[in-house]
Amino acid sequence: MNKENFSFVGKSLDRVDAEIKAEGRALYGDDLDFPGMLYAAAVRSPRPRIRIKSIDDSAARKVEGYAGLVSYKDVRGINKWPVVLNDYPFLPQDEARFHGETVALVAASSRRAAKKAASLVKINFEELPFIEDPLKALEKDSVKIYGKDNVISSFIIKKGDAEKAFKDCDIVIEKEFRTNYQVHAYLETQTATAVPESGGEMTVYSSTQCPFYVLDAVAAACGLPNNKVKIIQSVTGGGFGGKEDVPALVAAHAALCALKFKRPVRLAYDRKEDFMSMSKRHPSWSRVKYGADKNGRIKACKVKYVLDAGAYSTLSPIVLWRGTVHAAGPYNIENIEIETYAAATNKVPCGAYRGFGQPQICFAQESLIDDLAEKLAMDPIDLRMKNMLKTGDRTATGQKIDDSCGLKELAEIVRKKSGWDKSKVQTNGDKRRALGFSCVYYGVGLGAKGRYLDRAGAFVNIYRDGSVQVNVGNTEMGQGALTVLSQIAAETLNAPMKNIKLSEVDTSKVPDSGPTVASRTTLMSGNAIIEACLPLRENIFSCAASMLKAGKNQIKAFGGFFYFGKRKVSFEEAVKECWAQRLKMSEQGWYVAPKTTFDIKDGQGDAYVIYSYSADIADVEVDIKTGEKTVHKIYAAYDVGRLINPKLAYAQAHGGILQGMGWAIMENLVIKDGIMRNPNFTDYVLPISTDVPEYDISFVEKLYKHGPYKAKGMGEVPLIGVAAAIRNAVKKACGVSLTEAPMLAEKTLKAVKEKK
Amino acid sequence: MPELIEKYYSLKELWKDLPKLDKSRKYLAGGTDLSISMAYGEDDSKVWVDISDIKELSVIEERGKEIFIGACVKISEFEKNPVIKKWAPALTESVKYYASPSIRNTATIGGNYANASPCADGVLAMAAMDAKVVLNLKGRRRILPLLSIVKGPKKIDLRKDELVEGFLIAKKKREALFFKMMARKRFGISKAGLCICYQKEKNALKEAAISLSSVAPSVIRAPKTENFLKNRIITPELIRQACEIIKNEISPIDDIRSQAYYRREIVSVFLERALGKIFS
Repeated sequence: MNKENFSFVGKSLDRVDAEIKAEGRALYGDDLDFPGMLYAAAVRSPRPRIRIKSIDDSAARKVEGYAGLVSYKDVRGINKWPVVLNDYPFLPQDEARFHGETVALVAASSRRAAKKAASLVKINFEELPFIEDPLKALEKDSVKIYGKDNVISSFIIKKGDAEKAFKDCDIVIEKEFRTNYQVHAYLETQTATAVPESGGEMTVYSSTQCPFYVLDAVAAACGLPNNKVKIIQSVTGGGFGGKEDVPALVAAHAALCALKFKRPVRLAYDRKEDFMSMSKRHPSWSRVKYGADKNGRIKACKVKYVLDAGAYSTLSPIVLWRGTVHAAGPYNIENIEIETYAAATNKVPCGAYRGFGQPQICFAQESLIDDLAEKLAMDPIDLRMKNMLKTGDRTATGQKIDDSCGLKELAEIVRKKSGWDKSKVQTNGDKRRALGFSCVYYGVGLGAKGRYLDRAGAFVNIYRDGSVQVNVGNTEMGQGALTVLSQIAAETLNAPMKNIKLSEVDTSKVPDSGPTVASRTTLMSGNAIIEACLPLRENIFSCAASMLKAGKNQIKAFGGFFYFGKRKVSFEEAVKECWAQRLKMSEQGWYVAPKTTFDIKDGQGDAYVIYSYSADIADVEVDIKTGEKTVHKIYAAYDVGRLINPKLAYAQAHGGILQGMGWAIMENLVIKDGIMRNPNFTDYVLPISTDVPEYDISFVEKLYKHGPYKAKGMGEVPLIGVAAAIRNAVKKACGVSLTEAPMLAEKTLKAVKEKK
Repeated sequence: MPELIEKYYSLKELWKDLPKLDKSRKYLAGGTDLSISMAYGEDDSKVWVDISDIKELSVIEERGKEIFIGACVKISEFEKNPVIKKWAPALTESVKYYASPSIRNTATIGGNYANASPCADGVLAMAAMDAKVVLNLKGRRRILPLLSIVKGPKKIDLRKDELVEGFLIAKKKREALFFKMMARKRFGISKAGLCICYQKEKNALKEAAISLSSVAPSVIRAPKTENFLKNRIITPELIRQACEIIKNEISPIDDIRSQAYYRREIVSVFLERALGKIFS
């Protein structure tokens, strides 16, 4: 199929959910109402690490409308939330491991009463020694809070002999880097409503990216078989990774309350508790070393990378794994040694955030590559071009790059568009303005570490009037999945877009399709839809052809009509004929990702099914007397395969860049003595409209043969390289090599002063 | 929200009714700080006494040699009000740095003051104009220097039920510059702020009042720097010296918003830029 002949794919169609969201008709988690509904509120640990002696709700019982307390005793199944390593109890029995952890729940007839009651529940506890610093956690004589060494997870990649290769290098450079938390700041806080059904079943409405994780957790907590639990995704107001794992815990808590009180129960977090207890981007520490010959050929790379996982493992093992695989950067390097750790600390458990362990290490290695260029007296783009991955090269894990690789073209595009080759540092009073570059490769989908989850289902049902119901297992969370997947269904069936109805996920309608993460939805659910649509297409096209009195290969299909010569029939007419002939008009689709591998001994294997790529140039101005930065413009180019909806791809780029910029220069979560100090939008500062840079976005569509209409994945890509590009621009502008994100004005000014 | 919000439209009504209300009560003006306090569990009063539409508290008017700004005047009103523009230019200057447009349309100058925050932008502006505060308790008025009852973050020496009625600013010829450092370009809380109200005479400052925010437990003035600058011919060397003086005149702290060293630096950069702008 060539692009020009598509009716819907590749078109910038309006979002199918635009109107209901813009008009306020969409029902988010807290908009739903059920007769007799109770409200739950969490009773949270007041200290970083406590031994729980008892929980006393005698004062809470005096609150009008109080229904009761739910503690670990009310967990009907095994008291372990099933995620990756299953170490997080639904409700703790003896020990709570971070400030803000839910220790118990109360329910009452109103939200206010529930909050009041929760504040009156007394936890009698003994304080235990705690760990805040992940590097200290890894020291031999540290307090042990997780296993025998506080290591939640660890990986190595070994290719060639890095130590030996460094000795033969003309230039070796090594630096340490740190990055801080990032808070998802989704507009809708965590919300779940559990509704007990008459036959003992449990239905949960959840604001989530991963309804099947929620299903696993609710079934486990309630001790119910999976077929008695139904999860319906409520319209979800943002995720960014923050609604990947933790909604399952929130939903399980709501379900435990519903089970006990036999009434529907709403658990909706306020912003403060959402900050304190829900997932975050991991803070990181890394030491990166590159060695090159004097011509700029990179010979060796060594990385040690530590993530601050927090008190429970949640998604840390797989977040760490993505970071590990990508830690050497998008370069063809023969000798690589990477060792990585997720360390336990008594702080909020960290998990997924757009980029999933990759942005942190990308910030480090893409910064260091720039510093290496400086040492070599080479242009930073020239140095990268010499070493950049191209078709036929091998990654750190030894995976051969296939022909869907546009990285070099991306670098050339942003180089040309930004005027890089002629650009100089501009001085205006105390302001210095310059450009900085970074580039990224990104494994699409879950990869070898999550391969057992890398499948997806779809159900397509065509009604007699030609309207089409499509159910998938991946979610819309604001990114545009409903629209892109509708386009894929419409294209494959040659149905008008308006005929396609895709809804939020209902786990009783589709098989477990894995999580909506890792930029995998277009690829996985898209392919599952195509799989389901193909036999239906066969029927519809056959009927259309016979109605047109033409051979099946003689007709043309476009925009919901079938043509032969001057005759045409509509999609609806063809469907009606299919029904008249009693043809099967509903199908299941099932897509399984191609095989991926990862040898745990040396980290070698085909880690991901395919890679997307990006290159960024940041145009940044620094005030050298205040350390303030203005990001004037971001030039970005992406290779994400075919764009199913260009307008939405641009929107993904804009959002990702802005989140990357916020993380790079202003978002700063402070935890001191185990207590979060700024769990609010007053002091956790996010970029707003006045901070938005100008965007110059380009795409190179390197088609991926296994992708739906040859698409790859987009969602996480645009965030990853932004911080390093900004950092490298700051370096060029005022000569300071920053090694910490966020690059707060305070730190920048200090570095500028120290340089003088 | 508390269980009850009682709304009044005149002071007379308010003073008559007040004794009947639950003792656990607070005044509600714009509510932009108070509602957040309650959401975060820092305020558990049973009644909010809504004064936002009391007429006497919502006026801006000239009163003899002074102007009066009612406590419930909304921040956005400063942007275009001619009396403010003419006699209190520091307030006009402050508006664009002040929170977001939606907050400006709701928040009041009295609330900005009574919340007693060291970063209060409206207080920073008024402090550099030697404003006085008018307090009212059941009709008995006290008129005090603006900063005299502000004791630290969220600490203000108001008597039980005493109301901030408004502010008085002398009608005096002055120009103003307002500087504010935030974690982002707009809609932020200051890491450090400086307001200077001045009268220029050739190459010197005949008058210079400098107020500072976020560098002490409350908004402060910088008297040493003011005295140093008064009636001196401004030269690059003098500016350099003034910047040193202001840096040493303050004792800021490290907190989640910024660092002491940085606050000192910024205040001195602001002064340098202010003087540069005045004498450019």
